Amino acid sequence: MPPRLLLRLHRIGLVAMAYLGIFYVLVNSAAFPLIAGRTRASQEAFGHSITVLGATFSWLLPLPMGADTAAGYLQWRGYGFMAIVFAAWGLISACGAVRRDEDRGLVESLLATGISRLRLLVSRSVFFAMLSAEIVFLAGAAGWVGCVIAGSPAEVSGLVGESAALWGLTLASFGIGLLVAQLAADFRSAAAAASLVGLLMFLLDSIGRSSIQRAPVTDISVFHLFNQSNAIAPRGTFDLAATLALFVVAATATVVASVAFVRRDIGAGLIRTRRRRAPDVHVPSSNPLLRTPVARGLWIHRLGALGWTAGMAVAAAAVVLLVNVTATFFASTPSLSPYLRGLPGSVHTVLLALIWLSFAQALVAIFAITVVSRWSNEDSSGVLEMQLAEPIPRWGLLGERAAELTVIVTVMSFVAMAVILALAPAEGIPLDVGRLLTATALLIPFGLTFAGVGALLAGWRPRAAVVVLSTITAISYFVFELGPLFKWPALADNLSVFQLYGTPLITPVFVGGLIAMLAIAVVGFGSAGVMLARRDVAA
Amino acid sequence: MTGAIVMQGLSKDYGSGHGLFDLDLEVAEGEVFGFLGPNGAGKTTTIRLLMGLIHGSAGTATVFGLDCDRDSVAVKREVGYLPGELPQFGGMRGSEVVAYLGGMRGAIDRARVTEIAERLELDLGRRFREYSRGNKQKLGLVLAFMHRPRLLILDEPTSGLDPLNQQTFHHMVGEVSADGATVFLSSHVLSEVEETCSRVGIIRDGRLVSDMTMDRVHELRYHEVVIDFNGDVPEGAVRAAAGVEDVAVDGPRLTCTVHGGFDGLLAAISGHTVADLVSREPSLESIFLSYYSK
Repeated sequence: MPPRLLLRLHRIGLVAMAYLGIFYVLVNSAAFPLIAGRTRASQEAFGHSITVLGATFSWLLPLPMGADTAAGYLQWRGYGFMAIVFAAWGLISACGAVRRDEDRGLVESLLATGISRLRLLVSRSVFFAMLSAEIVFLAGAAGWVGCVIAGSPAEVSGLVGESAALWGLTLASFGIGLLVAQLAADFRSAAAAASLVGLLMFLLDSIGRSSIQRAPVTDISVFHLFNQSNAIAPRGTFDLAATLALFVVAATATVVASVAFVRRDIGAGLIRTRRRRAPDVHVPSSNPLLRTPVARGLWIHRLGALGWTAGMAVAAAAVVLLVNVTATFFASTPSLSPYLRGLPGSVHTVLLALIWLSFAQALVAIFAITVVSRWSNEDSSGVLEMQLAEPIPRWGLLGERAAELTVIVTVMSFVAMAVILALAPAEGIPLDVGRLLTATALLIPFGLTFAGVGALLAGWRPRAAVVVLSTITAISYFVFELGPLFKWPALADNLSVFQLYGTPLITPVFVGGLIAMLAIAVVGFGSAGVMLARRDVAA
Repeated sequence: MTGAIVMQGLSKDYGSGHGLFDLDLEVAEGEVFGFLGPNGAGKTTTIRLLMGLIHGSAGTATVFGLDCDRDSVAVKREVGYLPGELPQFGGMRGSEVVAYLGGMRGAIDRARVTEIAERLELDLGRRFREYSRGNKQKLGLVLAFMHRPRLLILDEPTSGLDPLNQQTFHHMVGEVSADGATVFLSSHVLSEVEETCSRVGIIRDGRLVSDMTMDRVHELRYHEVVIDFNGDVPEGAVRAAAGVEDVAVDGPRLTCTVHGGFDGLLAAISGHTVADLVSREPSLESIFLSYYSK
C-alpha cells in the first residue's frame, strides 16, 4: 500500500499519540523538582509518600521504585499510564485498520487492485510497527530530556529498554486487535470486543499484582509481560525475555489474524449471527423524537451521549473515592503542601475541586472535540448536504448543533454532580452544594467555548477542524497545567480556556473568565454561521 | 406555462476551466427535463446551484420565481432532491432516515412513503449500512418523492437500480408529471432520458451545447447503410443524393449514413444490381456519443 495512504489512514492516532506520548513523558519528568522539591531531603520525603500512595494504587499501576528521583517517578507515573494508553491505541487502531476500512469499502477497493489479503494485512501491520516505534522512542527521548531538565539524567539504556517494552506492548495489542477484529462483523462490535479483551488483560494483571498469592493465569496478560521491566527506575531491570514474549505475541496474533482474514468473507466476520427474517417494513419510524428539533440529534447520538455521561459519572465517583488517599499523600509530602496553602476550605474540598474540576474540564473539552469531529465528518460524507436539502436555514442547523451539545454537556455534568453529592458525605468531604451547582453549570459555557471555536473551524476548513482544535486544546491544557509549575506570567495563564473556568468550587466565580468564555462561544458560533452561509457545501 | 426553473448567465468558476459557464436555461412547469452530459460536464454543479448548496460566481437561478441562493429555504420547500450519491447514515434504519429527514421538512405523508417503498420493494426496517447500492438509491427516491414536491431535482436517479426498478421509476416520473410536477433529472444514460423526458439539454465542459425537444432529438436519428453491388458502384450518384453523408467505398461495398428518408439513396442506386443491403439504426447513445465528440 502507498505510504501516503497509510499515513493518512493513521493520521489521527499519529497526532494524538505523538502529542500525548511526548508531552506526557516530558512533563512527568521535567516537572519532578517542582512537585518533589529541589533538596535531597524533600525528594526522599516525596519518594516515601509516592511509595505509600503507590501501594494504594497498585491495582492501577505497578508499585513505584525509586520514586525519589525523576527517573523513578517517570517510570511509575509516566510509563505506568502510557502502557494503558498505548495498549488501547494498538487495539482500537487494529480494529480500525480491519473493520472501519472494510465498513467504508476501502479494503474491497484495495483488494480489487490485485494486492493479496496477506500483503494488505502485513503492510498495515508493518506500517503501524514503524509508526508506533517512532512515537515510542521519541517519547523515550522526551523522557531523557525531561530528566535532564529535572537535573537527574536517566540512564539511556534504561529508556531504550523501557521504550522497547512499550513498543512490544503496543504491537502485541495491535496484533490481538487484528485477531479480535476478524471475528466481528463491523467496527463498532470489533472495537467493543477488543476493548473488552484489553480490559480483561488489564484486570488479570491488576489482580495478579494486588493478590498475595499470584495465580499463574494472570501471567498471560500482555500488561504483566510489560510490567516485568522497570528499566528507567534506579536499580530497575529490563526483562529481555518478557519483552521478546510481547513481540512473539504480536507476531503470532498477526499470523493467526492473517489466516482468518484470508479465510473469511470480506464484509463479514468469522463469527456470523443468523439474521432473523422479519417482515419488510414500509412505513417511516413513528418515533416523535426524530421529528423534533434538537431531540432528533440527541436520539441519533444517544449511545455516544450515554457513554460519555456514564464515563463522566464513573470518573466523578473515582475522584471522590480517591480524595482521602490523596489528602493523606499531600499531608505526608512537604513539597506538595505549598500547592494547597492559601486555598480556602478544607483540604478534602480543595482536592476535590482541583482534581475533579480539571478532570471534568478535560473530559468536556475532549467531548467537544469529538462532536466537532462529527460535524466535520457530516460535511465530508454528504450528510450535511442531505440536511441542507431540507427547508431549514443553515444557521438553524448550526443552532440545533449547539443546542444538542449544550444538552449533552448539561446532562453529563449534572449526572456527575449527582454522583459527587451522593458519595461525598460518606467520604467525609464537606461540600457547598451551591458552589458545586455553580461549578457544574460553568462546565456548560466551558464546553460551548470549545464547540464555538470548533464550529468556526468546521465552517471554515472542515478537514482541518479536528487537528487545529485538538492542538488548541492541548496547548490550552498544558498552559493551564504547567503555568503554575513553571511560574509563567498571568497573561500566559489567562490564554488558557481552562484557566478562564477558574476554581468555582472553592473560590468565587471568575466573572471575567465567564464573560470571556461566553464571548468566545458567541463569536465562534456567530462566525461559524457566517462562514457556513457563505461557503459551498458538498463542493 | 411559466418557468419552474429559470437560469440566466449562471456560472460557477472553479478555475482551470472547470465549472459551469453562462448557463441560460428555462424549464417550464410540468415539464420533464433531461440534463445530459458526460462525467464532469457540470450537471451536478448545476443541480447544487439550484439547491442553494453552492453559490454561483455569476448569473441567477430561480425556482418558481424564488432566487435559489437568497431564498433557498423557500425553494427547498417546493423541491424533492436526490443527490448523486447518498451519504452514510450508518446504523440508522431506513425508516429512521425517512422520519429524520422528513421531520426536518415538517409533516410526513406516511401513506405516500408506504406507497413508494412498496412499489420499489424497499425494506425500511433494515439498517442503512446493510443496504446494497440499489437499495440506498431506492431510499433516496423515497426521500425525494415522499412529500409530493412541485419540483423534483434528481441527480443520476437510476444509478444502481435494476431494470425492473428503473421501469418503476419511469412510471413514477410519468405519474408525478401527469399530476403537474416538474422534473429536472441529470443523466448520462440517453435511453433513460428518452423514456421519461419531454425535453433535453446537453452540457459539455460546463457549457450548454444543445437544448431541444425529444422530437428534435429523434430527428437526429440516422441509419447506417451498407450496400454490396454486383458490378459498378454508383459512388458519384450516391454522394450527390439528398440526405446521404459519410460515403465510403471499399471494392464492391459502399457504406454511408442516411438522414431523413431513403428516397434520395434509392434513386441514386436505381439501375444498379444490389447483391445485399443492410440498414441499421444506431442507438441514441451512439448518436450522442458522436455529438459529444464533435
